[in-house]
Amino acid sequence: MKAQPPKWADRFLAWFCHPDLLEDLQGDLYEIFEQHLTQGHKRKAKYLYIWLVLRSFRLSALKENQKLKNSFFTMTKNNLKIAIRVLWRDKFNSAINLVGLTLGITCFLLLGLYVKQEVTFDHYHSKKDRIYRSWVKEDYGDGREFFNSHTPLLFEALFEDNFPEIERSVQYIENDFLVGRTENRINEIISLISPDFLEVFDVPLIYGDKSTFLPSREHIAISQSYASKYFGLENPMGKTIAVEVDTLIHDLTVSAVFEDFPVESSFRFDMAISTENGRRIYGDRLYKAWFNIIPETYILLKEGTNISSVESKTQEVVLSQGVTYGDEPLEKDQYQIGFQPLTDIHLNPDIPLGTAPVGNPQYVIILAAIGLLVLIMACVNYTTLSAGQSLKRSKEVGMRKVLGASKRTLIYQYLSESMVLAIVAVTIGTGITFFLIPTFNALTGTEIFFQFEWWHAGVYLAIGLAIGLVAGTYPTLIITAFKTINIINGSNQTTGKLAARKGLVILQFLVTVFLISTVLIMRNQIDFLMDKDLGYDYKAVISAELPIDPNGRGIRDALQSGMANGELLKTKLEKHPKISKIALGNHLFGSNGWTHVAFNDDNDDFKWFRLLVVNPEYLNAFNIEPVQGRNFEVGNGLDKRQSVIINQSAAKYFGLENPVGGKLPGPEFGEHQIIGVVKDFHYSSLHTEVEPLVIVQNIMPIFAGVTDADVKDSYSPKIVFTYSGHNLHDAIEILENEWEVLFPSEAPNFEFIDDRISRQYESEARLNKLIGVATLLSVLIAALGLFGLIMIVANSKIKEIGIRKVMGASPLSIFRLLIKGFVLQLLLAIILSIPLTLYLINQWLDNFAYRIEINSLPFVLSGLATLFIAVAVVAYHTILATRVNPIESLRVE
Amino acid sequence: MKGEHLGELEELVLLTIGSLYQEAYAVAILDEIKKNTNRKMDVTAIHSVLRRLEKKGYAKSEMGGATAERGGRRKRFFVLTQVGRKVLDDTMELRVSLYNKLPKLAFAGI
Repeated sequence: MKAQPPKWADRFLAWFCHPDLLEDLQGDLYEIFEQHLTQGHKRKAKYLYIWLVLRSFRLSALKENQKLKNSFFTMTKNNLKIAIRVLWRDKFNSAINLVGLTLGITCFLLLGLYVKQEVTFDHYHSKKDRIYRSWVKEDYGDGREFFNSHTPLLFEALFEDNFPEIERSVQYIENDFLVGRTENRINEIISLISPDFLEVFDVPLIYGDKSTFLPSREHIAISQSYASKYFGLENPMGKTIAVEVDTLIHDLTVSAVFEDFPVESSFRFDMAISTENGRRIYGDRLYKAWFNIIPETYILLKEGTNISSVESKTQEVVLSQGVTYGDEPLEKDQYQIGFQPLTDIHLNPDIPLGTAPVGNPQYVIILAAIGLLVLIMACVNYTTLSAGQSLKRSKEVGMRKVLGASKRTLIYQYLSESMVLAIVAVTIGTGITFFLIPTFNALTGTEIFFQFEWWHAGVYLAIGLAIGLVAGTYPTLIITAFKTINIINGSNQTTGKLAARKGLVILQFLVTVFLISTVLIMRNQIDFLMDKDLGYDYKAVISAELPIDPNGRGIRDALQSGMANGELLKTKLEKHPKISKIALGNHLFGSNGWTHVAFNDDNDDFKWFRLLVVNPEYLNAFNIEPVQGRNFEVGNGLDKRQSVIINQSAAKYFGLENPVGGKLPGPEFGEHQIIGVVKDFHYSSLHTEVEPLVIVQNIMPIFAGVTDADVKDSYSPKIVFTYSGHNLHDAIEILENEWEVLFPSEAPNFEFIDDRISRQYESEARLNKLIGVATLLSVLIAALGLFGLIMIVANSKIKEIGIRKVMGASPLSIFRLLIKGFVLQLLLAIILSIPLTLYLINQWLDNFAYRIEINSLPFVLSGLATLFIAVAVVAYHTILATRVNPIESLRVE
Repeated sequence: MKGEHLGELEELVLLTIGSLYQEAYAVAILDEIKKNTNRKMDVTAIHSVLRRLEKKGYAKSEMGGATAERGGRRKRFFVLTQVGRKVLDDTMELRVSLYNKLPKLAFAGI
């Protein structure tokens, strides 16, 4: 058969081409097709034909027929013009709709920006898809499981040497160093990072070169803000900073200045030195240790490699290295290495905490849901209001239909209206968001920022169109479904559509009541956490970390020297009457990093507890009372050497009926005696139960029997003291003066205990504030919606009200008439909201070991608040309605 | 003069219409131009030029007889109008007069 040009192309040509031009144009195309065919280029002929058809699709060849003219595309301009005119004509309603939508969008954008920041944490690194952080898990099967994202020092080399799939591996360690030469040496956190760190992570440099980032261990890289902190406006390159590394002060040369890390970065360091310095600090032994965890180890996979291929080999590699635990060779699965994607770190609470704080994914979901909820509410608002308005426009619709408008045309036109409104709302909402961000950040403790790029305009336009579509569909359908004949007759149109509208009003009330009661319950829980009797006095307590002997080795030396320094300072401070209750201890309240130690008990079972090292005044200073036995006595030599105090949880955990006079149940512990049991005070946050605690003055008898020890906080001893009355300023001055005399080379770091304690609930407080903002906006939206709705009701009953007034009705009866419909809906909303709120809030409360019991008060309050809004709005309209002279209202039409 | 402007391609097509005399339709014009100028172009460009020329009144068209190779469709034949002829004459005259003004010794400097 002879080849034919593609049929569809022909048909397309016939569809768009002006009939006068069609025949000869098509003829010419055919002729060219034939030409190619006779030359034997069948395929080329076809493609050329299609190409020519498409090329012919130009304005001059277009058909001018009816179908094309009435389509959505050509009508859009007209629709937009009409939409703008309609919106402009009814300014008041448009304004209510616009403000409602704008509020909803603002709330959505604010929460959205926060959520976006949380979920795109660390996403800015260009190699993010290939970067993983390793973790290590030791599991000996008898309850001893050690799972950490800090890893042994030897991992860096292990990965590079044994896994060809791994392009590079780098270490990251944060450590305290004393910075400065003599006067006011301050404690700074300096990160030890591998010199090739920048090959893996994106850290933009201001001065310096990626290839010579940290050329030797005598160099230091600093952030932009630290450059100005230490060098002001000067160029810091080549200048030196004195850092004490392992008892010796080194002048480190600045080799690079990097940009401050962005907010959405897990890394936030300001000073970095090469990991080669680790050799000075940790000693060669630790570089071969499998059970000592110090750095976080990150790997960069080679392109095209799958992480599972590395993971599946780790066990084999570890076993082949001849690792032993004690004298026993490791068995399979006892020592596991795994990897976690970089982008997963910020929101994955299942992997143990590394150096960077981890956000709560639950809170991100809650906030995203609430942002969406408020936006939906704003849409519902628009929907109910325009549906209510639809009656007003029935004449217009009728007229259009009579004049021959098709349903499709009407739908396009009414949707154009809601889309125009939504796009305006998105524009204004974006502007408001931009200006509101600083206030929002200050109010809620977030650090969100708004960066506009041109492609965002498209996104916002799409959001606007989507909102317009969602909000506008229902009223459009109502309007276009009007029967032309009924409109012309003037009969009622709204019957049958009311149920859906009522449902939407209930939904709106429901969201409002839900949000208000959620905020109230959260507030209660946070107040409960803040006000709960923690079992000790912490008001007006100041702490400062004491200097430790730089030449000491190990925890014991550090503790002893720090305690000795503390005693020196204590004797000086005791002379001042404004300062009292001075005590020393190696941990402060409000931290989850207290020394964690483990041992094998008499039955060779694995046991653990937390350990606190104090001086004899410590428990008294905080008013922690013994429930059995006694407290440490000042000057009691035996106490200082071997006495131990435990808390109630420890007594229960160890199964000690009469602990006083007894010993801890481990065979290896040295000479010690339990002299007292203190009540369970909440030394760490109320998210967790009080854990077993052992308090000693001398760690040696206990440390003899300990098999594992882990300290997340600094173990340097701290001095704590209270100040009387309102003499905070004096107290700090006294401390600074005395400190200066004793430790001239180091500046004191103050901390207030109550600050530390409230900081534990920072993320909960922030969540509460964020939801508070959303609640405020949603209440405004709901009030606005109600305002509009009641106005519609009042307008539709304007004649009825007029007649009633003529007959002598009181304002109260008019009020009753107006509010009648809404009370039932409100009640239904309150009833429906209770189980929903209870279910969701209980999920949240399960985060806390100590939580409130929910009572009915928040629900009553939120119900009353919503009712109050409804009553206020109706009352306002009643006043308006009663002011109108009945003559005016009855004269309508 | 406004309205009498003739683009370069328009001029070329108009000249070709004239030279083909009774046989000027789009594909023939295209072939003729390709043959004379070795220029790459496609038939849709010719079509839009033809439409412009007709609108300006420089050419007029009528439908001819059908042929099988065109799937039974007729050809639209174009002929020059009086105005078209005049525009071509004017253009040519302008060119010639300008050309004659070129200094004879223009190449002396080279």
